[in-house]
Amino acid sequence: MSEWLQTYNELFGMYHAGIITSIFGAFAVSFTVLLCWPKLVNDFGAKGGFIAAAVIIGTFWIVNHKLPGYGFSTGLLMDAGNLPMQFSLIHQGARGSAPWIDMGWAIAMAFVVLDLMTVPKGTKAGLFKEMIPRWCVIILGGIAGGILVGLTGYTNAGL
Amino acid sequence: MKNNYLSTFAGSAICGGFAFGIWPELWKTYGLMGGWLAATLIIGIMWYMNHYNGAISNPEGKIWLDQGWCIGSAGIAWGIVRFQGDFTAFFLAVPTLICCLIGGALAGLAVWFIRHKQAQGKEEIG
Repeated sequence: MSEWLQTYNELFGMYHAGIITSIFGAFAVSFTVLLCWPKLVNDFGAKGGFIAAAVIIGTFWIVNHKLPGYGFSTGLLMDAGNLPMQFSLIHQGARGSAPWIDMGWAIAMAFVVLDLMTVPKGTKAGLFKEMIPRWCVIILGGIAGGILVGLTGYTNAGL
Repeated sequence: MKNNYLSTFAGSAICGGFAFGIWPELWKTYGLMGGWLAATLIIGIMWYMNHYNGAISNPEGKIWLDQGWCIGSAGIAWGIVRFQGDFTAFFLAVPTLICCLIGGALAGLAVWFIRHKQAQGKEEIG
């Protein structure tokens, strides 16, 4: 069992243990956000949203994304196989060289699934169809913002 | 309706850009507490703009689209432009992406199940 967990899966670009921890990390943060964030906003208004951002996202960022390095160190640490060590539940693919996958995907997906399950039967298909154009605009907006910020890599900023 | 799309697009672009322009720099400068500070500043302010003030259009009674979608897609676009420079790198990230979506869907189902059971319990008592 421990050997299987330590095996690096070339097809997925993740350790087998990393697959399990990724799913668990995504589950944990989404569950907490779904249960706590709307309640905090109900109880405290806009202040509740700021509290939720700091307490929920800030804390779960540490466990899901803190990568690489140990504690306050921001340097890259290598494991025995000279691969970058990842101290995070959500495992970034291809030895950490794949594009960044954020836990935002999990939270957003959880809201959509929860709403689809909660709405009355018979309205699901219509609501899903109504969602698609809005979803495309959001995804395109995110891509535009990501590309624009990524362009700083071409300005010799050396960040 | 067109205006809603425009503000949705702008809100998600700003949100995605902020998350990946600021978060790595704060984290690399201040370590753990930098990441925590980034969550407070970026997610706090962007949530206030996108969801509390409604830059991302979420009509009443419709399916909620969270700013997580735009942060997620911005992460992939930022990674490709900034580091890989090659669109095929996207496929390297797909397994992690699928793990994230599965985890999120499970959480949505779990919360629905809890609320469903709670509602049933109330009906039985009342």
